[in-house]
Amino acid sequence: MKSLLAFVFCAALLFNAGCSKAPEPAGGGSGKKLTVALMPKSKGNAYFVSCKQGADEAAKELGLDLLFDGPTEPDPAKQNEIIENWITLGVDVIAVACENSEGISTALRKARKKGVKVVTFDSDAAADAREFFVNQATPEGIGYTLMDEAARLTGEEGEFAIISATLTAANMNAWRKHIEARLAEKYPKLKLVATKPSDDLKDKAQSEATALLSAYPNLKLLMAICSPAVPGCAEAVKQAGKAGTVKVMGLGLPGENRRYVKEDVTQSVVLWKTVDLGYLTIHAANAVGNGVLKPGDTRYAAGRLGELEIQGSDILLGKPFIFNKANIDEFDF
Amino acid sequence: MSKPSFFSRTRGWWRSHEAVLLVVLLAELVFFSSAGRRFGTADNFFDIARHSTEIGLLALVMTPIILTGGIDLSVGSLLGLCAVVFGKLWRDGGCSPGIAGVLTLGLGTLAGLLNGGLITGLRLPPLIVTLGTYSLFRGLAEALTHGADTFTDFPASFLFLGQETWTGLPAQAWVLMVAAVGFWLLVHRTTFGRAFCAIGWASEGARYAGIPVRARVTLAYGLAGFVSGLAAIIYTARLGQAKADAGTGYELFAITAVVLGGTSIFGGAGSIHGTLLGVAAIGVLSNGLVHIHQPREVAGMLTGFLLLLALAVSVLPQWLSSLAIRRRAAQGSQSSPPSTP
Repeated sequence: MKSLLAFVFCAALLFNAGCSKAPEPAGGGSGKKLTVALMPKSKGNAYFVSCKQGADEAAKELGLDLLFDGPTEPDPAKQNEIIENWITLGVDVIAVACENSEGISTALRKARKKGVKVVTFDSDAAADAREFFVNQATPEGIGYTLMDEAARLTGEEGEFAIISATLTAANMNAWRKHIEARLAEKYPKLKLVATKPSDDLKDKAQSEATALLSAYPNLKLLMAICSPAVPGCAEAVKQAGKAGTVKVMGLGLPGENRRYVKEDVTQSVVLWKTVDLGYLTIHAANAVGNGVLKPGDTRYAAGRLGELEIQGSDILLGKPFIFNKANIDEFDF
Repeated sequence: MSKPSFFSRTRGWWRSHEAVLLVVLLAELVFFSSAGRRFGTADNFFDIARHSTEIGLLALVMTPIILTGGIDLSVGSLLGLCAVVFGKLWRDGGCSPGIAGVLTLGLGTLAGLLNGGLITGLRLPPLIVTLGTYSLFRGLAEALTHGADTFTDFPASFLFLGQETWTGLPAQAWVLMVAAVGFWLLVHRTTFGRAFCAIGWASEGARYAGIPVRARVTLAYGLAGFVSGLAAIIYTARLGQAKADAGTGYELFAITAVVLGGTSIFGGAGSIHGTLLGVAAIGVLSNGLVHIHQPREVAGMLTGFLLLLALAVSVLPQWLSSLAIRRRAAQGSQSSPPSTP
């Protein structure tokens, strides 16, 4: 009996050793079963809830264990605590949307030091605190998509105006730069007549839009490039009785624009598919954990999303998605 | 005929609230160790210690305040203010972390004395005064940073305090232990500290007994300010960043730990070791849930449940013995003469 036990024990040990030393199989998707921990900025946010849908889909597809946790209240210390708990728990990969880049990088560096792989998505940490950043949209992608959609809606001619958040915001200016570059390059008959700030407030956007509507009677389109400004512009156009004559489009969340899209006040809302963002994040996390995806790679095939581009250490989700009357009901965030 | 009840006959430490809480804590430890694969590791206990230190310090200093019948709602906000001031002194003021730390502790103490002064000097209720400074301190922290400025890139020698281990334990755990021993001696072993209980029990009586009530109460709040500053420094070292929202909601965690630890919210009764057990019970619970893959919000729910359960269980013996006495009295009046236990 004793020898049998000893045999079983030895066999188990050998088996264990064999498992841990076995070389990782080459090629994607067939590595060992990983535990991937996914953290949103906050758990209740509809945006991240829909990211999780995609994450669940990918986890099922890849057969990995997915942990999902995050702060319920805005406390920067909470994200760090959860990361530290995950390190102790022995997860293989951590994927996180960083509320505060600097603060969380401390915890992420610690994770990497302990052999846990780190991927960020939605908003990045310091570059040395993670292996890859799943980038949902580049300024170029956003700028070009917005301009192309505006051109499509106006038939590539006429006057249009932009409502921004503030005229100094770095991300807004990066987008504007690409919008204007695209305009100069491809649409000579379209004319940008004004760019107005809205301070990221819906009311301010609405009053600016109202002013623009009376100042430029030939205006064909309002482009709002910060999310509160999209419904703000729509409200202004609706109240001026110009729904349909002056088109409204912009960068925003489908949820807060659904009403206006259905009333034909707003024609298009540009954003990325959050479900795909979650899906890609888990695919990338899995590939990094299995050693399939390594620094220096320039392309990555992520399941149903196909072959995607990698710029530096940014995995690009691709072109933004356009929500309109035909598809907006499929998205609940 | 009637025997004295089990509860009224036995008198011992294990009937105390602290003993009940110790059992709860042990039950948590046993449960999570068996259910969570990595729960029982040294690394994990280090995590728990790291994550509990700031709340632990605030709970320790909250105990004497609640013992006097007061409360301090401003400690979390003061932690935020101190963290921001510490960051500003270091980054913009050119102070070394050591000097910045000393100045921060000074600021914390002054802020605490402001609370104490308003409460004793103007005879305002502690709840109102600290509700005011709760907003004031947080507002100052936000104003100093315009709500957006974040202080980071502290030197590794400073981050050591929050992230590394020193002689076998996380560095900040030593601070917590020293504070715990210090507060225990102060509250339970000095006449000076026993005044807190006396004040909470009967403030007028304490005054007639020669206790300088106002000075002691002011001191308790000053001490809270000092410790908030200390917690702010440790918080900053642990996260590697100081931001105006540091320590949001920590005052309520601290108060929960104190009350869970058996200190009466009306003052006059309670203990430092009870508070420590309260901190440990909450810390282990929220950590353990991660190890059995339960979502974080369950921790809040269970903490509330634990608090109510601990309170209920701790009054149970009293309730049972009073029930027994009443029944005996009722029986006695009907038939047999009262027995002598």
